[in-house]
Amino acid sequence: MTERGMSDQRWLHALGQELARHRFTPDVTHHVVAEAAAHLRDSGQPALRAFGTPEGYAAAVAESLASQRRQPRRPRGRVRLRASQITKRYGRRTVLKPTDLTVHAGEVAAVVGANGCGKSTFLRICAGLLSPDSGEVLVDGLLGYCPQEGGTYDFLLPEEHFVLVGAGRGFDRGRSRQLGRGGAATLHWDAAGDVQARHLSGGTRQKLNLVMATLGDPDVLLLDEPYQGFDRGTYLDFWQHVWRWRDEGRAIVVVTHLLNQLDQVDHVLDLTPGAREVAA
Amino acid sequence: MRLLTVAEMALRELSRRRGVILLLLALPFVCYVVRHDQVGQSIRFVLLGLAWAVSTAALFAGGTSRQIEPRLRLSGYRSHHLYLGRLFAMWVLGLAVAAPFFALIAFDRGGQVRLGAVAAAMVLAVAVAAPFGLLIGAVVPRELEGTLILLVTISLQMMIDPADSITRLTPFWSSREIGTYAIDHTGTEYLVRGLTHGILATLLATVLVAVLSTIRLRTRPHLRYASR
Repeated sequence: MTERGMSDQRWLHALGQELARHRFTPDVTHHVVAEAAAHLRDSGQPALRAFGTPEGYAAAVAESLASQRRQPRRPRGRVRLRASQITKRYGRRTVLKPTDLTVHAGEVAAVVGANGCGKSTFLRICAGLLSPDSGEVLVDGLLGYCPQEGGTYDFLLPEEHFVLVGAGRGFDRGRSRQLGRGGAATLHWDAAGDVQARHLSGGTRQKLNLVMATLGDPDVLLLDEPYQGFDRGTYLDFWQHVWRWRDEGRAIVVVTHLLNQLDQVDHVLDLTPGAREVAA
Repeated sequence: MRLLTVAEMALRELSRRRGVILLLLALPFVCYVVRHDQVGQSIRFVLLGLAWAVSTAALFAGGTSRQIEPRLRLSGYRSHHLYLGRLFAMWVLGLAVAAPFFALIAFDRGGQVRLGAVAAAMVLAVAVAAPFGLLIGAVVPRELEGTLILLVTISLQMMIDPADSITRLTPFWSSREIGTYAIDHTGTEYLVRGLTHGILATLLATVLVAVLSTIRLRTRPHLRYASR
């Protein structure tokens, strides 16, 4: 094992101990540690940079879960997204067996599963960017989509991205910039600078991606692991935004492998082979 | 409005790639300088260099946008906003690259050639090259393969016997014909043939780009909107 790997392992062990101090059950502790490990593996970041100290992260997780449980929930609205009997094969490999997902206004669905199990494929099918082999998707309202990576122009400024997406939504330049800056500010990012997208850090670039997806207040938000590269604080803020968007009546589908939010979402679609489950 | 926004952003992005701009200018310039001792060859080569540079820029611009255009479609753009906006940007860029070479030829060879026809040949070279580059990018998504196809096309155009009738099937034949009219002071039939070929080649490439882009960016039939 590399020195870096050893360091992350020590950090994860310390996190487990800290979570136990916060009186999390062994199951929850295991889930949080597993999701942190998955995030570290996927992001390639050292644990300290990604999450801060184990003590701080455990405290933040505890606070986040406690505050979310206190939030009053509005009754769910009409169906905003209904994916029915979606299947997809690539050659001989079946990526998606018949899959259903229904999300109402004011609900959050998490799509989870191992790498390569078809999470992003399912989301792209829901967005209409990819054709399934069978099945259909019904969308009621405006659609916003945040890809896992890409989705921005290297040589354009963030504000130019806002203008570009805003023009598609029918906004003039001033309004587009205003909405983009506002969205960026909620993610603690000042998007008014003249830094081209290629010079943004991975996390900031994902913030740009996320702001572009939410510009114009879409009714249905499809988010494909949008928090890649986020630091701990921004990651927790992101989920706060998800709850806020939900409470505003949006339907949100988040592809995630970070499991500590699953007890807060309304639906969990597990695409791991043999575990096709939709649970409330 | 949407079309112009796409064009503007494409131009902004390209204009910040200073190295690319320099290379776009270097390619026709090298072609011109290498054959400078021969009036006809230098002008014919600068036209081919211009076509090569603009089609390559269009190829890469199309590749850059390939990942982003689906999300722009979801943001409210129609397919034609995206491919026409990009095409418009490539035409503007191509004319901007062509302008200094026209000035160079006017200064260097002004008394020896028909300058109006040289200008027409340059405009047609740019007109064909932009959709042709986008077309190659649409057919061959990988940029390396696309670049090699462009290289084969331009090489064929350079090396093929002008008397061979197959030359009319090459995309930039119009520039050669109008070039002959401009340089050798031939009859207007060369000009007419060149203009006709250039306009048809531009239209054909544009229509093919439109068809391929519309197919790629279509709303998939499995997705239905309940209220729109």
